[in-house]
Amino acid sequence: MTMYISATFKELTRKRVFLVTLVLTALFLILFGFGLREVAGLNEQEPNHAAKQLMDSMIFMILGLFFAQFLASFFVLFSSMGTVTGEQENGLLLAVAARPLPRWKLYLAKWLGHAVWIAAYSAVLFVAMVWIVHGVTGLHLFAGDLLRGFALFIWMPLLLLALSMLGSVYLPMLGNGICSALLYGLALFSGLIEGISSEGGTLLGMEKFTLLTGLIVPTDSVYRRSLYELLGGSDWAGLTSTYLGPFSIPTVPSNAFLLYTVAYAAVLLLLGCRAFSRKDL
Amino acid sequence: MMMIDTADLTKTYEGRGGCRGVTLQVPEGCIFGLLGPNGAGKSTFVKMLAGLHRPDSGRAVMLGQPLGRPEARRKLGYLPELFRFQEWLTPTEVLRFHGQLGGLRPRDTRSTAFRGRVRDTLELVGLADAAHRRVGGFSKGMQQRLGLAAALLLDPELVILDEPASALDPVGRHEIRILLKRLRAKGVTVFLNTHLLEDVEALCDQAAFLYGGELLASGPLRELLGGAGDGGVDWRFQVGGWLPDSLAALGESLGGPSVSPLRLVEADTNGNAVLSARVADREQAGYLCALFIQIGLTLYESGPEPNSLEDWFIRMAASRQGGDAQ
Repeated sequence: MTMYISATFKELTRKRVFLVTLVLTALFLILFGFGLREVAGLNEQEPNHAAKQLMDSMIFMILGLFFAQFLASFFVLFSSMGTVTGEQENGLLLAVAARPLPRWKLYLAKWLGHAVWIAAYSAVLFVAMVWIVHGVTGLHLFAGDLLRGFALFIWMPLLLLALSMLGSVYLPMLGNGICSALLYGLALFSGLIEGISSEGGTLLGMEKFTLLTGLIVPTDSVYRRSLYELLGGSDWAGLTSTYLGPFSIPTVPSNAFLLYTVAYAAVLLLLGCRAFSRKDL
Repeated sequence: MMMIDTADLTKTYEGRGGCRGVTLQVPEGCIFGLLGPNGAGKSTFVKMLAGLHRPDSGRAVMLGQPLGRPEARRKLGYLPELFRFQEWLTPTEVLRFHGQLGGLRPRDTRSTAFRGRVRDTLELVGLADAAHRRVGGFSKGMQQRLGLAAALLLDPELVILDEPASALDPVGRHEIRILLKRLRAKGVTVFLNTHLLEDVEALCDQAAFLYGGELLASGPLRELLGGAGDGGVDWRFQVGGWLPDSLAALGESLGGPSVSPLRLVEADTNGNAVLSARVADREQAGYLCALFIQIGLTLYESGPEPNSLEDWFIRMAASRQGGDAQ
């Protein structure tokens, strides 16, 4: 089951996927850190209230992690969109699938191989972003909150990976990439719309739409819960909802919803194993 | 023991193509050739054996295990057609990866014994010098050799090769032939799907012919080449002292020209002639030889027609096309 961990690592490093991703990520973090320092410097010149400074720090954290989850998601989509049909089309799977390994194990091994490195990349992104915001603005974070936020931030791309891999069993590489990106975009859009609409009071139709998209693609909901946990849960996170427009967190997914995402990932992997086992290569 | 034993194995693509009702036995220790024109269903059949396609119906046992179970592929080496290996890996890494896919633990693939095995296998296929170069820079022939190395890595009892020599130059093809003969000598069964009839002729003990998804013939290659299904053999005679009325004289001796099996192939003005006849067996050929001498001809040479596999292939395909047309 673990053979794909080192194989995927070699693929990512030797095809320079990791190198390019890490260089661009570093560039993004440097630019973000630079911009943040400039904005924080301007704020310091004004006679700000402590609460205002705290609020601004939270906003920077939310914005930074919003773009970080964006990067992590694109890393998932581009690295996994051709996992099955892509490798079938170019002939990579033929010699592999003829080995005495049940197809379901092969599928899970491929998921694990990607998951380990996606989790590693997401962890680097999260830690770097939190470190930059904390270093520049002095935002105080508690260890427990940090760990919960960290775990959920990593869980989000792994959910997307399960979705993208299932799509790769049925759809050609490019088609799956587009389909997965659109589904991810739908969830993201739904979250942004919910943030905007929350300023004018709760709309029943919007709530239903958000709930439905959250059930179909729960990535944005998990990301929002991750922010909520990181920023101190019920102690502080509510403060951010009114000022952030599309980036607000008007509703926080419940623990039951998090359990749903675990079941969601399990079902996607199960469906993927089943479909891959029945697929003619 | 049969290494492959299928009964009515069927796989179609929405009712079209593929192969239907294939019943085939491949005995242990032989080189078996699967022949047929393009679209005959050969690749579909091979992919079912390799576990890449699921049969629609029928039954099959490979290496003593029902087809489809991973256990059936434990002692199988498979070289696919139109395959690729990970371009970013070296041959040594590809083989280590395939060792793990074959059931070895990661630490086993790092052992000295396994590294030696990898080295020997790469040497066997002529890739020892390229063991640490990236596969991405390999020619088609080198990729083909690496595919063969992956198929042979874990000491298989059955090797299925799908067009193994298609990307190789004549020297490479010659080396593969020698390698396959060596495998047979070690007791390994080889199942060969190839378009290269000369390879089948030079290597195979048994063969099968697929056409339009159906199995038309199967058995020892010599028997398949010996006739067109009536059990007879085409025999050729080279004689001297031939006269224009010799054929009539022979016909009279055989009960009349209408029942004579003899056919004049060619004759020159010096009295040399080549005759052909379809005989039931060697005894009948011997009787004809005696008859030639009896009427005063000189018998220079007598033997079965040099029946090539290509002739047989074309005859089989043509007979089926005729049947289809009717």
